Amino acid sequence: MSPFLFWIFAGLMLVFGAGVVLNRNPVASALSLVVSFLGLAALFMSLDAYFIGIIQVLVYAGAVMVLFLFIIMLLDLRAEKLRKINWLASAGGIAVAVALSVQILYVIGNFRFSQQPFPPLARSTVDDVHHVGSLLFENYNLPFQIIGVLVLVATIGVVVLSKRELR
Amino acid sequence: MYIELLKLASPETVVVVTALVVLALGLANERTAGLCSGVAAAGLLFAVAAVLMLPQQATLFHGMLVITPLTSLFKIICLVLAFFTVILARADLSSRNRGEYLALVLLATIGLMLLVGSEELLMIFIGLELTGLSLYVMAGFDKTDVRSAEAGLKYFLFGSTASAFTLFGISFIYGMTGTTALAAIGQKLTTAPVQPLLFVGIVMTLIGFAFKIAAAPFHLWAPDTYQGAPVPSAAFIASGSKVASFVVLGKIVLVGFGPAQGSAAWHAMVAGWAPVLAALAALSILIGNLVALAQTNVRRLLAYSAVAHAGYTLLGLVAGGREGFSATLFYTTVYAFTLVGAFGVVALVRRETGGDDLKNFSGLSSRSPLLAGCMSIFMLSLAGLPPLAGFFGKFYLFSAALRAVDNNGLLWLVAIALFGSLISLYYYLMVLKVIFVDEKSSSTTQPLNPSTSADFLQEISLTVLAAVVLFLGVMPGTLVARIIAAVQ
Repeated sequence: MSPFLFWIFAGLMLVFGAGVVLNRNPVASALSLVVSFLGLAALFMSLDAYFIGIIQVLVYAGAVMVLFLFIIMLLDLRAEKLRKINWLASAGGIAVAVALSVQILYVIGNFRFSQQPFPPLARSTVDDVHHVGSLLFENYNLPFQIIGVLVLVATIGVVVLSKRELR
Repeated sequence: MYIELLKLASPETVVVVTALVVLALGLANERTAGLCSGVAAAGLLFAVAAVLMLPQQATLFHGMLVITPLTSLFKIICLVLAFFTVILARADLSSRNRGEYLALVLLATIGLMLLVGSEELLMIFIGLELTGLSLYVMAGFDKTDVRSAEAGLKYFLFGSTASAFTLFGISFIYGMTGTTALAAIGQKLTTAPVQPLLFVGIVMTLIGFAFKIAAAPFHLWAPDTYQGAPVPSAAFIASGSKVASFVVLGKIVLVGFGPAQGSAAWHAMVAGWAPVLAALAALSILIGNLVALAQTNVRRLLAYSAVAHAGYTLLGLVAGGREGFSATLFYTTVYAFTLVGAFGVVALVRRETGGDDLKNFSGLSSRSPLLAGCMSIFMLSLAGLPPLAGFFGKFYLFSAALRAVDNNGLLWLVAIALFGSLISLYYYLMVLKVIFVDEKSSSTTQPLNPSTSADFLQEISLTVLAAVVLFLGVMPGTLVARIIAAVQ
């Protein structure tokens, strides 16, 4: 991918990521998050990680965020709009974020590998969906199935704990 | 390969199928819901049979599923503990949502069996989560009781934070060694230079287990959860989850982190996991025993005594080696059976008098000599008096710790443990004094439900548990020999 496209998608992600926090309307925040996820997916694709990019769109931007929107629309969130901004807390938050960014930049700058260009990945004849599938169903077969049991436990728990008891 | 997997995981498969059947029966209609407990108990017994039919030695997927005499023995112990929990639950729960509750017990048991039977960090983490999620729901299951909600919430918040730490620690370990199999990690660490990042990873991994075994200072959830959760849930949290956690913790530190043991000997400490566990043990023994002195509720008292017992049990791991590990395994098994029994007595008293404070136990010896007798066996075993199993367990632990390091280096830890046991004698005898000496005050409430046939079954199981504790005290060799033979 050309650097030009990288800057477009990275900028898109950052602008809409900031939009998630800055918007007072929760629905607008959620929609900005969707756009930010799409930018992230494009970046994954540019790194040749097509599977993760597609999953990012299908699962996060598609399923999870739409569910999130439903919940936001069902809840009454007017209180959030009326809340005043606490300037002191925002200033503190910005200070922490800046300090963290400086630290990360410093560490990356001193990191040996960051000075040299990343070697191109070896081209494989098998696509990565195939790789993920064969790993899941061969080496990690048992954990994969146990995760199924784990999801069952979560479902039972949610239903039992949130069900309204009839008296 | 899949047939092989199905064959080697047959006990887990049996339990999963039983859980699904129980869930379906509970949903079908009122009449079939009554069958749930029976089906669950039968399924657990089938699973025990399936464990007995497993081969002696087998490994699948680089250690994700390991079968040795040790794992088989502890799978059976976990299944038996789940069996007693099901019997406890049979009488204790209202008929509402019984199927779901028993299904959760069974699914938690699968988590325990996977924990016991795995030597791979990924699988261990999934097992921890499976057990944890089921137990969180079980702790908050009684929606008519606000204390149960408190118990569930506290257990969930502490538990999820602790698992986050463990996962972070595991990722450090994986980053340094490039593998998640315990044996391979152990090999890598013998040659790799010791670096601070490794210790960060080890300490973070241990935090999650310290939470599971309720060692101080990660014990803050225990009193509220033991007191507020439904009695069978509390019993299972205190027994099954603890046994499996100690087995896994032992495997992780002795097999995986073996080269980074260090030493906790007096004036000769060497950095490693042994001093960390020694500090946890000393803190648990002191805090657990001293705070237990001030409790007026029997379940809270048991919770603080559980903290202290976690400390004693850690002594074996600090000692390390084959002998220390077997001492830990024996002690935690005995402790689990004793505690299920003690919670069984608490459940019956609670049903009869409507509470589980110390005063509810007054005059128990005249009301029910059998319950009083069982309770005294459990309490004296916890206190560690001969000829009960608790005495032998402690003796074995302390002697293993003394012999492990040259010049009696661990004497300071053993001295603290002995001091703690001395304190604990007071509050265990306090419970017995209330049971045998205090008169039942006339003001206590009327019996809530008159005794039913379920009580009979429960009394039989309590008698069996008391007999087990007595038997393991008189002839500890039967279990110890098995454990020593199984620990390579």
